Amino acid sequence: MNEQISAITPSLWWLTIPFIIALFLGLKMLNVRVSHNILKSLTNPVFLSIAIIALLLVNLDLPYAKFSSHSQLLSWLLEPAIVALALPLYQQFMHIRKNFLLIFVTCSIGIVNATLVAFVLSILFAAPSQLSASVAALSVTTPIALLVTDSLGGISSLAAAMVIFIGLLGALFGFLLLKLIKIFNFEAQGIAMGTACHAIGTAAAIAEHPKIGAFSSVAMALSALLTAVIVPLLYPFLVSTLL
Amino acid sequence: MKYFLSSAIILLCLAAGKLIMHFIDASFPAPLLAMVILLVLLLSGIVKEQQLTPCASPILNVMPIFFIPAGVGFIEHLGLIKTHWPFLTTVMIIVPFSSLILVASIVGHFKGTENNE
Repeated sequence: MNEQISAITPSLWWLTIPFIIALFLGLKMLNVRVSHNILKSLTNPVFLSIAIIALLLVNLDLPYAKFSSHSQLLSWLLEPAIVALALPLYQQFMHIRKNFLLIFVTCSIGIVNATLVAFVLSILFAAPSQLSASVAALSVTTPIALLVTDSLGGISSLAAAMVIFIGLLGALFGFLLLKLIKIFNFEAQGIAMGTACHAIGTAAAIAEHPKIGAFSSVAMALSALLTAVIVPLLYPFLVSTLL
Repeated sequence: MKYFLSSAIILLCLAAGKLIMHFIDASFPAPLLAMVILLVLLLSGIVKEQQLTPCASPILNVMPIFFIPAGVGFIEHLGLIKTHWPFLTTVMIIVPFSSLILVASIVGHFKGTENNE
């Protein structure tokens, strides 16, 4: 069966991009229809698209290199899309001027903590340097994690998958944890969710309460910018001083 | 015309970012530098929000599609993942939850921990 499919696929590789788009849009439509919070997080369209395509490639024994070269156009478009992220960043900046210092400082602490904890764990588990670099920038939205991980010499695709898992974990258990440590303040919950669990956590925050969602969006946007500045400086410093 | 201007602003910032990174020979990602340049231009009023929106909004709406191919790339490292899954699982749990507790506790210290609706 697999051999038959492998024999047919050379003529079908041109369908790679239409397939990705159709799969993503189909899953997004499914996700929009889901109203239950936990199910909504589990049916995240990016997470499911990556999982389905990965399963197809592995099970049908299709080479990733072929898939990658035929979806190159989408990867190229990621660069201008990252530049365009300046727009929501700017829009959020306009809302946070009053609380800027607090959000700036706490986001920075959250990012430093994430990189430091991941680095200490990589020492404890004696992880290879490539893996250590792959987990240095996980508390940030996926496109930024891809670029920062790449610049550190890590495996960006692994970082992307882990970032999405972290977002899902945060969406599923983040508020439970915050309530367990008796943090009920909307600003505290929102800023923490946006800093630690980025876009997927922010979606859960919006569902929890609009005010928590607003703070989470701001923290997520600021964290994207701060991660891009802090992690490429902090990680080489940690490597040079602690290893 | 508005689409041309909007896409030109984004592409010029990207080109500036790539050019700067090429000359200073650092490892900082050029698209991120371009994003910072564009943010500075917006904050300084040189570029207006409405000039950027025509292309920026649609590209941001479909942005998740762009990182699906890169995300699938983890299948090339399945051996590494199988070997180091305890490390990767621990990182995925400890990193976000430690940041959640730390950030929420600091903000809670300054703003109070009670529901402030």
